[in-house]
Amino acid sequence: MNGHAFLLWWDRIIAMTLKELKQLIRDPVLLLIISYFFTADVYMAGSGINLNLRNASVMVIDRDHSAASRELMYRFRKPYFDLKGEISGKNEAEDLLNRGRILAVLDIPENFQSLLLQGKPTAVQFQVDTSNTVLGTLATGYATEITAGFAQDFVAKRLGLNAEQMDALPVIQNRHRVLYNPNQIDGWFMSISELLTVITMLSMMLPAAAAVREKERGTIEQLAVSPLSPLQILLPKVISMGLVILLGVAVCLFLIIIPVFHLPFKGSIGLFFAVTALYVFTTSGIGLFIATISHSLGQVTMLVILLLMPILLLSGAWTPPEAMPPGIRWAMYISPLYYFNEIGYAILMKGAGVDILWDSLLGLTGLGAVFFNFGVWRFRRQFG
Amino acid sequence: MNLSRVWAVTYKEWREILRDRLFFTMAFVLPVGIFLVLGYGISFDVEKIPFAVLDQDRTAMSRDFLHRFIDSRYFEYKGNVQSERELDPLLAHSDIRFAVIIPPRFQEQLMAGRATSVQSLIDGVFPYRAEVAKGYVSAIIANFNAQSLMGYLVRKQGISTEQARVQVSPLRLESRYLYNQALRSQWSISSGLMMLVLMVTPPFLTALGVVREKENGSIYNIYASTISGSEFILGKFLPYLLISCLNIFILWWVVMNVFGTPFKGHPVFYYAASIIYVICTAGVGLLVSLLVRTQVAAVMLTMVISFVPAMLYSGLLVPIESMGTATKIESHLFPTLYYLRITWGSFLKGLGWDELWFDVAALMLYAVILWVVGFLNFHKRPSA
Repeated sequence: MNGHAFLLWWDRIIAMTLKELKQLIRDPVLLLIISYFFTADVYMAGSGINLNLRNASVMVIDRDHSAASRELMYRFRKPYFDLKGEISGKNEAEDLLNRGRILAVLDIPENFQSLLLQGKPTAVQFQVDTSNTVLGTLATGYATEITAGFAQDFVAKRLGLNAEQMDALPVIQNRHRVLYNPNQIDGWFMSISELLTVITMLSMMLPAAAAVREKERGTIEQLAVSPLSPLQILLPKVISMGLVILLGVAVCLFLIIIPVFHLPFKGSIGLFFAVTALYVFTTSGIGLFIATISHSLGQVTMLVILLLMPILLLSGAWTPPEAMPPGIRWAMYISPLYYFNEIGYAILMKGAGVDILWDSLLGLTGLGAVFFNFGVWRFRRQFG
Repeated sequence: MNLSRVWAVTYKEWREILRDRLFFTMAFVLPVGIFLVLGYGISFDVEKIPFAVLDQDRTAMSRDFLHRFIDSRYFEYKGNVQSERELDPLLAHSDIRFAVIIPPRFQEQLMAGRATSVQSLIDGVFPYRAEVAKGYVSAIIANFNAQSLMGYLVRKQGISTEQARVQVSPLRLESRYLYNQALRSQWSISSGLMMLVLMVTPPFLTALGVVREKENGSIYNIYASTISGSEFILGKFLPYLLISCLNIFILWWVVMNVFGTPFKGHPVFYYAASIIYVICTAGVGLLVSLLVRTQVAAVMLTMVISFVPAMLYSGLLVPIESMGTATKIESHLFPTLYYLRITWGSFLKGLGWDELWFDVAALMLYAVILWVVGFLNFHKRPSA
């Protein structure tokens, strides 16, 4: 290719890219929806979502009515639990649990205090609604911790030990340090996860829609008889939509995630955008493939959703790879979002660089090359 | 309302659906596809957390302590490191999500009856998993402490092991898990997904059905005909209702047979409630179809107003109690919350009309409002 042909090639690409951008700008509904995804959607996901247990309603059946039983029950307090009061018996408890009015019932037996004072073992019962397992698990965990703490203090008091003497016992003190998100703010995780999902969806959907629209309206025939090669038709669609998505990501990061959720941006911004561009390119290959097998936008959207589901699930965004069954774990390596998640979280939250992420980057590049070439190959067969 | 006209539209629509093979297949494959992928993909069982160990003591006691982690099914041992610096890249690359550091003179301190401390580093990228992991670590350490204290008391005070046990842990918490005894998150998730899938697919189908006619102009035939707006909408809607009613059965079958979730409630009640819910969600699709002109916009908008609330505001992933006040109010505005209560109530709790009438009434109200608004806003003379 000589210099002139090279310039002409790029001229055409730029002209087509501008055409795609103009077409997009003239569809106000679509623009509105895109900006919704990058702002309000990410904001809602990050602000409303809290997977930790907060204010779970608990009621108590207190059969002992002693100082000890009252002390135990008042330890079930905020932020984890919300003590709603006492109830008289099992039937009432069951009814409230059935209706979902309360999450758990704490049942304190008779002679609770006297048994404890005599140094005899006793037990309290904790009935939890586990129809939502997340809540059930967390509530049981906290309840166990609370009763253990209560028992320990009670024993110490009975044996007349003070805090200093407690330190002189052969026990292990537990020092947790939660890295990367020390206060375990769900908003950081959720907003980034939502952003990565939005990027995936739009980078499949927009190029595919742009390509199928030409098919639906018949303008693809005009392009086919023009001097443009299939790559020159497809690449501008990917470039223009990629630019729109990168702009959206910038808006989302600098107007929503960083100022609203106070995410400490640990890594390199340039690296993150470069990886995002690579990722958009990868997933748009899938979008182009979809465009070749469908005839209308309705079909495109159905296929996008059908493919988006497994990509999302196999990405490890909701369930990390180590928790997946072995078979599914292997399938994760063909989900581009899996690599993007690894890299995205590592750059944004862990501050990792290329030296740590090279293998995920390599995987993403490889997948991108395969997907994109496949999409272009299909298109060339159809219109070449 | 002329029933023969309604029937004519229904018949026409049904023929059209049957002829669009891809669309017809999708109408059945898509719900089941989403279902299987999400059902297998979302898991809140926190197990096999990969971890590494830095043992600076290397004694019998430190090994005994570590084996409590290595032998646990909640953790997966990934190896030993020599210094703290080696842990950082492992954590940043997500090779491990958790690390235990045992200090020097760990055994010596405990044998001498003094306290020592163990540090645990936890990857906080997934806040929920970090929280659960913290709980496991605390439980293992508490267990170790109890044994260590027992041994100490036996030696120090010369009492029997049994007496020492009572002294150390006089109080037990007996947890009873209601409705989902084995705490299997798949039971909750798979039945909960009925809500999600039936929220997403009926509006898609309905919205696409109406907007398709708008986009390719055939709606003008309708505008010019003698058929009234309500007859047209009703006729349009019936085929999609039929598809959704069949889908309810298919999904129900999948929940019980593929995921093994028990159904404890009343089948007729649940089926009737599901149909009301489908009428509701299809009404959402109707409203969308009134707002937009193109199929892409229709799909995007349905996605926004159906998928997001179903995922985030229904109580499926995020417990309602844990939400902020604004989000809590918002979540009560969507039908998903009520149907999820009905679903979990029917599948896991074995409830019926007596306990769930309020939620059914809420759904009915929702359906009536949506369809009245839809009818009132469907004009045969388009404004532009």
